[in-house]
Amino acid sequence: MNAKVVAVMADLTEPSDQSGPRQGSGPDGEPRTALPADERSLLEAFDRLRPQGTLDWNFDDAVRRLVEPGEVAGRPAGWSGLPADLWQRGRSTKASERVLGDVVKVLAQDLSEYTDRAVSEGHQVSANELAELRRAALDAVRFLAARVERLESAVDRVGIRAGQLDLPDFDGSEWSGAAAGWTAARADLPVVTGELGDDALLSALVGSGVRVEGVDPRGAVVWATEAKFEVGTGRIDFVVTEVVDYLRSLPDASRGCVVLGGCVDRADLARKMDLVDEARRVVARGGSLVLLVTDQVAWDASLGPVVRDLLPGRPLHPETWLAVLDHRGLSNPRWLRPSTGVLHAVVAEVGR
Amino acid sequence: MSGIHLFVPMLHVRDAVGEHTRTLRDLLVADGVESRIYTETLDPDTADVTRPYLDYAEEAEPGDVLVYQMATRSDMADWLVGRPEPVVVNYHSLTPPEFFAPWNNWIARHQARAASELRRLAPTAVLGIGVSQFDAVELRASGCIDVIVIPVANVRIPPVEPEGAALAALRGRQENGPRWLSVGRLAPNKSHQDVIAALFVARVTTSPSATLTIVGSPSEPTYARALQRYAADLGISGAVEFVSRISDAELAARYTTSDVLVMLSEHEGFGVPLVEAMLNGLPVVAYAAGAVAEVVGDAGVLLDAKGPRRVAAEVAALLADPERRNALVMAGRTRLAALGLDRAGSDLVAALRRVADRASDAAGDPVLGGPVRPAAPLSH
Repeated sequence: MNAKVVAVMADLTEPSDQSGPRQGSGPDGEPRTALPADERSLLEAFDRLRPQGTLDWNFDDAVRRLVEPGEVAGRPAGWSGLPADLWQRGRSTKASERVLGDVVKVLAQDLSEYTDRAVSEGHQVSANELAELRRAALDAVRFLAARVERLESAVDRVGIRAGQLDLPDFDGSEWSGAAAGWTAARADLPVVTGELGDDALLSALVGSGVRVEGVDPRGAVVWATEAKFEVGTGRIDFVVTEVVDYLRSLPDASRGCVVLGGCVDRADLARKMDLVDEARRVVARGGSLVLLVTDQVAWDASLGPVVRDLLPGRPLHPETWLAVLDHRGLSNPRWLRPSTGVLHAVVAEVGR
Repeated sequence: MSGIHLFVPMLHVRDAVGEHTRTLRDLLVADGVESRIYTETLDPDTADVTRPYLDYAEEAEPGDVLVYQMATRSDMADWLVGRPEPVVVNYHSLTPPEFFAPWNNWIARHQARAASELRRLAPTAVLGIGVSQFDAVELRASGCIDVIVIPVANVRIPPVEPEGAALAALRGRQENGPRWLSVGRLAPNKSHQDVIAALFVARVTTSPSATLTIVGSPSEPTYARALQRYAADLGISGAVEFVSRISDAELAARYTTSDVLVMLSEHEGFGVPLVEAMLNGLPVVAYAAGAVAEVVGDAGVLLDAKGPRRVAAEVAALLADPERRNALVMAGRTRLAALGLDRAGSDLVAALRRVADRASDAAGDPVLGGPVRPAAPLSH
């Protein structure tokens, strides 16, 4: 799931705000950004299925401009171009080291040798041609750098992303009755719930009278859930993105409550702390942070060995969460045990 | 005896360029002109009607005209630049590489090289023939001096009769919602995903039982798989049918039993499905990209934007208004006549004959002593 995709799922049943049919006219380069967020999100779900992305192409295109004969007149013959596997050399978990130590070095060396030869052979190279070469070289490095960033953001040694593993959906329905209590103190501010989990909890939050923002990185889950609620009324909105990315996009102290479930179980320890810190930041004074945490024994029992072994994280024990929340300066952290299900609630307030 | 010979990288059946090439060869032969098809790569399905292009050098006759059917990259292009015979470029549009880049960089590179080849070949051609004004503009921009527009020659007029069994089976289907049809190779520039997204919106808004049939060969397999995955992710895989490798008669049955052709392609050099829909009395809702607007004219709903909500609304509005639907179908018939598809073949033959006549005159002219052809650019 592309974490950059942040799109509010507005009401698809609302009429389009675009104009009526134009017969005999041509498209005017309609940018996708002009579309409402829900439509953009729908289309971006397809973009995520593209296997190669455009970085590879952009890099390749820059290199093609460097090496293709005939594109720039007056180049010396005989340069074989860059190594064919240059792009592949960046495909490593130590991407930055490899790129800095290998790919860019090769790029720089080969270009230097090429330009030296051009000079020594007395070629008349115009300023425009040199500028074109320089642009192409800079583009190549720029796209390589972007590739490094992307690799570093998605290091996955096994090659199986957590999103591809078959995980049970968490069922927060047991806590629907308590939901109104979590939001009561700051009912003037919206509540964020991520991920979506069971509809009953969402219904209870909406029923408590606060505005709800449902966040989940799985587009299909969002669209299925959205269909069950009256979106567009200002009571509930949906966002397709990673929960931590959504929280990062929010202003400080702008939400009355954050309810986290699912993501807090499977994320690795660092990401768990990111989630809590971001949630802590966005909850206003007097508001609540609620963690719905799967029981460790039930978690282990519900997963096969492959998923259990490959997931970056597993649920923390509620006592551990209490210690973390306390350490983060939240008030009155408490552990609410489930009466029938497997989901513990760990609740704390942001001090007044 | 001199001839007008056709060069195409590979001759496929059920392929727009392939069918156009075979139709043109048949028309030339029927007109008494010697015409052979030369290819770079052999397709077993058409091996009996093609020859390797490098064999042409042995078979060349003074006064020959060589017609290159250009839609992709081929070593043939640079080879043709070096031939002394007059070359005509019959241009079918090159899909810009950016469409393929996220799916298949190899194809993207292939298309980028094709564009380079066109820039080398076009200035040396004695004539460029675009199948649309859109293509003609690209030909001129690539350096072709003399450019005319003649549409594709392989549209069957009158249309092929629908296949009886297929027609009966399609009419016997259980679902009773609006039936959308999208026709075109499963290639990224065709943007079938936009039709799927619009169908998704239609089903959650106005038409819960709407269905979509996508007819097209999976020319880019990763894209084709992504389309199926997308439909599944949206929970509408049961409402989206993918069909490929069907006969013209089966395709006609699809046109006949659908309610609307939805074409949201991002790049079209002509758009044969548009005229096929008109021929079969199917209304068209299309995104006005490339040559689509000049082909459809006023005979369809042309969209200047294709957000899924907009497309779903346009289709729903059209299908809810039988009067408008019928008016568009009638306009389609008028449009077909205006496009001149029925005379495209003869126009093409006449244009090529004119080139051949000039070449023959030049070949027999003791002063000129050979065909008149622009010189290749000095840099090449």
